[in-house]
Amino acid sequence: MILRRIAAILFLPVMLAFGSGVYLYLGTLKSKLVQERPVSPAVTKPRFVLPGTMFVVQQGRLFKMNAGSFTEIGPGGDWSQPALTPDHTKLIAVLRAGWSSDLYLLNLDGHVLKRLTKNDSRYIDSNHWAFYPRVSPDGANVVYSFDSPKNNGVDLAVWSMPLNGAQWQAHRWTDPYWYTGGDVSPIPLAGGGLLFVRHSIDSSTAVHSRIYYQSRALAIANPLTAEADDCSQAALSPDGTQIAMVCSRGKQTTALEVAPFNGSVIGALRVLREGGLYASPAWSPDGKALAYFAPTGLTGHFQLWYLPLAVAVNPSATASPMASPSRGGAASSIVAPTPTPAPVPVQVTEGVDLSATSPPVWY
Amino acid sequence: MTGQGPARRRRASRLHPVRIVVLTLFCLLLSGTAGAAAYFFPVVVAGVGQTGQTVVVPPSRSPGAKGTPPPSAAPGAPFTVLLLGSDDDGKNKSPLTQSMILVRVEPSTKHVTMLSIPRDLWVPLSTGGSAKIDAAYAYGGPAAAIATVERNFHVHIDEYAWVGLKGLIKLIDRLGGVDLLVTNPVLDDVYPNDIDGGFLYDYKRVAVLPGAQHLDGSRALQYVRSRHNDVNGDFGRSARQQQVLLAIKAKASTLNAADLPDIVDALKGNFKTSMGLDRVRSLLGVATAFDLANVKQIVLYVPAFTSYGQISGQSVILPHWTQILAVTKANFP
Repeated sequence: MILRRIAAILFLPVMLAFGSGVYLYLGTLKSKLVQERPVSPAVTKPRFVLPGTMFVVQQGRLFKMNAGSFTEIGPGGDWSQPALTPDHTKLIAVLRAGWSSDLYLLNLDGHVLKRLTKNDSRYIDSNHWAFYPRVSPDGANVVYSFDSPKNNGVDLAVWSMPLNGAQWQAHRWTDPYWYTGGDVSPIPLAGGGLLFVRHSIDSSTAVHSRIYYQSRALAIANPLTAEADDCSQAALSPDGTQIAMVCSRGKQTTALEVAPFNGSVIGALRVLREGGLYASPAWSPDGKALAYFAPTGLTGHFQLWYLPLAVAVNPSATASPMASPSRGGAASSIVAPTPTPAPVPVQVTEGVDLSATSPPVWY
Repeated sequence: MTGQGPARRRRASRLHPVRIVVLTLFCLLLSGTAGAAAYFFPVVVAGVGQTGQTVVVPPSRSPGAKGTPPPSAAPGAPFTVLLLGSDDDGKNKSPLTQSMILVRVEPSTKHVTMLSIPRDLWVPLSTGGSAKIDAAYAYGGPAAAIATVERNFHVHIDEYAWVGLKGLIKLIDRLGGVDLLVTNPVLDDVYPNDIDGGFLYDYKRVAVLPGAQHLDGSRALQYVRSRHNDVNGDFGRSARQQQVLLAIKAKASTLNAADLPDIVDALKGNFKTSMGLDRVRSLLGVATAFDLANVKQIVLYVPAFTSYGQISGQSVILPHWTQILAVTKANFP
């Protein structure tokens, strides 16, 4: 009898352990979706070592990838959209702070050299956004998207200011459509012109994005891509002869495409990848490959991908798809059939959560 | 013989090995069940408190409306859910519904139809008088919201689900965020700053940049809630809400039963539905089978379905019932 009681008492911890085990086991059955959390790039190793140096952003932190390892750079804060100066010695990046964002000049180790803009204010309406900084090829100016003037709404226009000057010297380049969000992603060209993305709305209330070329400040901008193509996030190749971009064509997915460019006219689009959420392409330093972001895994965090371009894109851009430079005019770009097997992308990062709205900077 | 009697009793009083095994298995089963019960306890509590909400829809006074209360849809049969979203921030004793979406689910054909109802739509309320349709929930809870939609849109609603904004944020965060293609910059200088405490009528600036991206709960809420700088106003916001719903659906399709406690914890106090646990569970199953290509999205844009107007000093949206009812008749039979 006593033995039985002792056995029963000894069995109680076993029951407790078993019950706890069942509880814990059920926890392990959770889908990866609920369990997975992204890690810092600094604690990961790229699955594929890219040539050169690249800057990327994750959750407001800047990271430099070089020789197969990531290093976090820069002070704390909500950093995004780094851009390189033409001499590859400095970065310009956006720092968001509450209700505004500003442009900062940093060295390649992330130390702040200069604050370029001051857009914060104690009065909420007097705050401004500055995004998408790019330095002109001659290194003299920085172009960026800035929400001024405010016409009861908040729309971004492309502005330009001297890199070594002050914000009061900035002047506006583009005239966006109101209540569309405005003009973004400017790319200053060697010839003095500008590529940028403009948002518009059609008669059926659908919102579109198109890549435009503009020769000088406040001149009429010419659309390079068709309204129906919904192209954006243009990236100019190092030699200036090709443009990589993403196009959604009214869908909830994007295609990664390239087209030849002659400085003011774009050629036929060539689809490299489609049916995914491709974002923010960037050219390799030699112009023979692209890097871009796309989500992977259940959680859908964006990872870095590398896409070698096996066949050189036809560098000739002989005809613009846009016959008339009139704003909002209809256009139909030609999507060229892909003549060769599609290049195979390589996943570079794993388990991180890179900012897909901050294009990689690669040199 | 007599000497064997006590010995047999002693042997009998000892536990037979088979009995020991059975008893051991029973005890383990009992403890295992207790472990599982502890794991799913939050789900059970939520199931009792937040699902299966009884809704008594008042009798219809509209000649065009169908009879209420509605019979519940049979398992596997098409059914219609009214999704309600509110800023449960305490501004109003009873919150307005910032989002009203009719969702028709057809399990057999795996088709889903979503129709966003503009919050400023000026309609007769089931509780009496006319007002913006977002007030129906505030005046009479889900029953009034359902009755108002049924009478005006001539549809039959089987179930409703209500979610508060904080619940939406937590849900998306628990799902690890959502992937979206933001078509254009969503910038707003007068975005409500009422989620994180402080003055309820305060506002702040938000900026969601365009492009394919991964949004956490807070940023996704900014995306679906902002409307002041959208050329399509509330209609643009409605389209964005449908977009996020589909993104959530895409994520939810990978959930399993073991995830339910986390999801329930995320929605604690921010979710109510008339659906029972059985239907919620079957909906999760249905979500895995749906293809985005089989989802039809309808927004009652101006000027085809609605027009802008002013009533009693309020900016309202006036319905074009002929066009709207043609759409609801075709898509919500």
